[in-house]
Amino acid sequence: MKYFFYQLKKSPLAIIGIAIIVFWLIAAAVGPSMISYTYTQMDSMNQMVAPGEYGHLLGTDSLGRDILARIVYGSRSILTVALLTSMVSTLLGILLGFSAGYFGGKVDTAFLRTMDILMAIPPLVLSMVILGILGNSSIVSLTIIVSIAFIPATARVSRGVLLTEKSQEYVSAARIRGENHLYIMFVEILPNTTGPIIVEATARFAYSIMMVASLGFLGVGLQPPTPDWGMMVIENKPVIAQAPWTVLFPALAIASLVIAISIFSDFVSKVLIHER
Amino acid sequence: MKRLVEIFLRRLGSLLATLVVMSFIIFLLVEIMPGDVAQMILGQSATEESVAALREARGLNDPLLERYGRWISGVVVGDLGESVYMKGVSINSILWRKVGHSVILAMTAFIIFVPLSIFFGVLAGVKEKKPIDSIISFFGLATMALPEFVSGVILITVFAVQLKWFPIVSVLPIGESIWQNLNIVILPALSITLVMFGYISRMQRSSMISVMNSDYIRAATLKGMPRKYVIFRHALKNAMLPTITIIGMNMGWLFGGLVVVETLFGFPGMGSLLMTGIKTRDVPLIEACVLLITIIYSVSTMITDIMYSYLNPRIRFQGGQK
Amino acid sequence: MRRTLLVVLLLAIPMMVFAGGDAEKAAPVKQIRVAEQVPGLITPGVWDGQAFSMNSSIYEYLVEINAETGALEPLLATSWETDAGKVWTFKLRQGVTFHDGSVFNAEDVKYTLERTQDPSIGHLKKADFEVMESVRAVDDYTVEITLKEARPTFVYQLTDYSMAILSSDYDYASLGESKPMGTGPYTMSQLVPKESALLKKNPNYWVEGLPKIDQIAIYFVSDIDASISMLESDRVDVVPFVSPEIKQRLDGVDGIKIISPYQEMRFISMRVDEAPFNDNRVRLAFKYAMDPKIIARNVAKMELNDGVFYDESPIMASLAEYKNIPLRGRDVEKAKELLKEAGYPNGLSTELYYASDHPFGKELSQTIKELAAEAGFDIVLKGYTRDIYLSQYWLNVPITLTGWGGRIDPSMLLALAFKGDGPWNESHLDDPVLNDLIEKVSREADPDQRMVYYHEMQEWFFENGPLINVQVPLLVAISDRVVDYKHPLSQLPQYKYMDIL
Repeated sequence: MKYFFYQLKKSPLAIIGIAIIVFWLIAAAVGPSMISYTYTQMDSMNQMVAPGEYGHLLGTDSLGRDILARIVYGSRSILTVALLTSMVSTLLGILLGFSAGYFGGKVDTAFLRTMDILMAIPPLVLSMVILGILGNSSIVSLTIIVSIAFIPATARVSRGVLLTEKSQEYVSAARIRGENHLYIMFVEILPNTTGPIIVEATARFAYSIMMVASLGFLGVGLQPPTPDWGMMVIENKPVIAQAPWTVLFPALAIASLVIAISIFSDFVSKVLIHER
Repeated sequence: MKRLVEIFLRRLGSLLATLVVMSFIIFLLVEIMPGDVAQMILGQSATEESVAALREARGLNDPLLERYGRWISGVVVGDLGESVYMKGVSINSILWRKVGHSVILAMTAFIIFVPLSIFFGVLAGVKEKKPIDSIISFFGLATMALPEFVSGVILITVFAVQLKWFPIVSVLPIGESIWQNLNIVILPALSITLVMFGYISRMQRSSMISVMNSDYIRAATLKGMPRKYVIFRHALKNAMLPTITIIGMNMGWLFGGLVVVETLFGFPGMGSLLMTGIKTRDVPLIEACVLLITIIYSVSTMITDIMYSYLNPRIRFQGGQK
Repeated sequence: MRRTLLVVLLLAIPMMVFAGGDAEKAAPVKQIRVAEQVPGLITPGVWDGQAFSMNSSIYEYLVEINAETGALEPLLATSWETDAGKVWTFKLRQGVTFHDGSVFNAEDVKYTLERTQDPSIGHLKKADFEVMESVRAVDDYTVEITLKEARPTFVYQLTDYSMAILSSDYDYASLGESKPMGTGPYTMSQLVPKESALLKKNPNYWVEGLPKIDQIAIYFVSDIDASISMLESDRVDVVPFVSPEIKQRLDGVDGIKIISPYQEMRFISMRVDEAPFNDNRVRLAFKYAMDPKIIARNVAKMELNDGVFYDESPIMASLAEYKNIPLRGRDVEKAKELLKEAGYPNGLSTELYYASDHPFGKELSQTIKELAAEAGFDIVLKGYTRDIYLSQYWLNVPITLTGWGGRIDPSMLLALAFKGDGPWNESHLDDPVLNDLIEKVSREADPDQRMVYYHEMQEWFFENGPLINVQVPLLVAISDRVVDYKHPLSQLPQYKYMDIL
């Protein structure tokens, strides 16, 4: 941990990244209570007003809804879904990947074949098709489906990590002690693999944000009136010439968050790999 | 060589398994999810009776397995079936033209981003820790993090709305082929390029750095070989290896991105066709698009794997353990 | 040598491209280019009305509406007569041929009408034509339609866009989507599904001198913004279904004008056989909470009564049957009071269902939610794609928002959507007074008496009705070079009369 802060001091970029992430987390947590508009409230006298005018800091869209309010509320849903998907897919990935790697043999082969099948479809296409057929996405369905689409990747990483640890002496020691498999996997091995798994999870978090935003853009993400950044981009695209802020700000929100997380995950992997 | 054949066969097997499993899942999903094609066709005038009659007329009342069997036996001989939504329109007649467009789009993007990102990646790697490296690295990180539709919107605003260099929408004039209208491909290809650029240039950079720091390159430099010669004759060849993998691994993102980009630009390709299929619950159309994307994607990862094994002497000669 | 070859090749490619362009310019043709929505289906009867430039040019109707006067005019039928609306006799035009060469006659009309009742087609106007008892071809050019009950305005149903006259010898079930064929002024020359269509002048068209232009090039573009940019860069001449935001943007742009041929209706219906809307005070409270001006501005970016209308009855403001009842005006206090009286002192919570992919759906539902919230209605919005909305929720939920096309004769719509036994009775109305009025209006042959019934009905709706009817404009952007753009209510643009400068 000390090393982490030592490295952080040397990397201004990482500090900026972390600051942006913290900013969005705070915005999602307390932002809505600090803004005088709700995300559906329509100021019908002030439609498509430019940023800063009539008390709308980031302007309004074609329905007179405050862009800032929609972005702030939108940060809640996108962060919720992205955090959930990265957690669920990492946890399930560990469960599946560890089991496959630990037991080896037929279990492992079955695992690999299944993952081959899932891997053969781009995750975005897979989620899009399923969500599109589903017709109406909620935070729950979005989380489940995006997590499934991500599992092949997380499970493979976990399996690889486990394989490198499996041959360590402490594992065979535990076996000789007669510990059960679950204990060995999750109490003995897991704590020793946190590094790569955290790296994978932070990278996954960035992917999740991109994925959720792209699904929103394709119209198969969260349904209105829930504000969704990706949806805001496509929804306001018809007025891009008159009111570019309606498209630009949600786009910037997505960009800032994903870039910040990428910087952070980059930094984390640097630190954790050096630590080893 | 044995290893290559093995990879090839294993991949082919899993591809076939994927196609069968996936196609069945789609049939099943459309079946159990609310909303169906009869409903779609009838809209407001749908009654229980008319939906049932229409389902009967389109053969949708047959058991799921029977319909699936009928469809897949056609696919095996190259008949992708008939759209259930647009009766009398064969999938073959609408799919291939769009696939052609998508392939041209993907290839254009590929031709742009591969050399570009390798070049800048190498440049950043060679000039490690110099300003140019920081600029390239940050730019790569930023473009990588932008979803295609965000960079696409920016490209549209700048090059189509403001400068008017390219059309906002990728529509083909009637009676003309895509070859006469390559300008409609440029902006969509660029938005794909931006995303890919980040991944590949960053990978190229880091592998370049590690190769440049390896003993044999140091030895070569110490021996007094010219720097350029060292970089191009020795370092680059080895530093390309991980890049090839990353290009292959990102083909998935490329095809996912294709759907997004085609939606954004209204590009007449496979992605927008898939979107149409989903909206109208047109199972054969969804199936055809997904299967094709799967095949293209799997084949490209397969080629990557084979190329990787071929280029990497350790795997080629050991012939074992991954 | 190799280098020379390369240079030659490099030069050859652009030259070939230019050569291709020249060949097309060699034969100048008068054409109108249209960018319209990507159609779902295009076979008449199941066609969603999207590809309307294409279908209105290929197919024709028995009668048409004059876009200027709104009067009914003969087309494939030369004349018609009826005995108080029960038996209808149509005389048909002679010497008309279909694009495939077959001769148009009474059999084709019989086929077209009977086809509406074929359950395997899923005809959109099946319910409208269930009133037919029999269709008989008296001779080659006379058709006799007997109805189950008198319907003096039956002839208006034949102007519906789904009632294009089809050839009885043509296999529409398998060719309707790929090779549409009718008697219209244009023939299909080249169709790329979901992408484009090229229509050529029908050389055998039965009206001398029509159509005026040689071909229509139609692009199917899903993104309206993209269509507009094609219009702005002179790649198309006509863009139907533009959004209100686009209208704002194009107002004042040289060379382009926006016209609104007519309005379409959006019904917000409250279900009256269940709490809370079984209590008329709750319905009134809901209506008092609405602000027509804000709705107009939010939804259509227009001022009220200037292209967008608000009413509490299903009769469109543009029809002769319309009675101008002054709007009740917004009164949030009164709404709260009414809610209190009805037993909801703290307001109430309910749900509004709508089709999220239908034009104006999102805007309208969100505006209504916001307006009603101030009076104490906590409305949860439930948006679903149109198929799911219609199949799973429509007709079964507290509040619905549904799109309805305008009809010249309103009686049919009333019977379908507001009568106790109507199949599309979204508000579950079964009011003896209203049922009786609808019954009378559909049977009454005297136009003046009909008008009396219509006015009574509208008053009933104002007092007791479960309905808010927002009439949103159909907006079409056209280039100034397009002359005589004609587009009557409930029908489609009449390209045969149009010309281009």
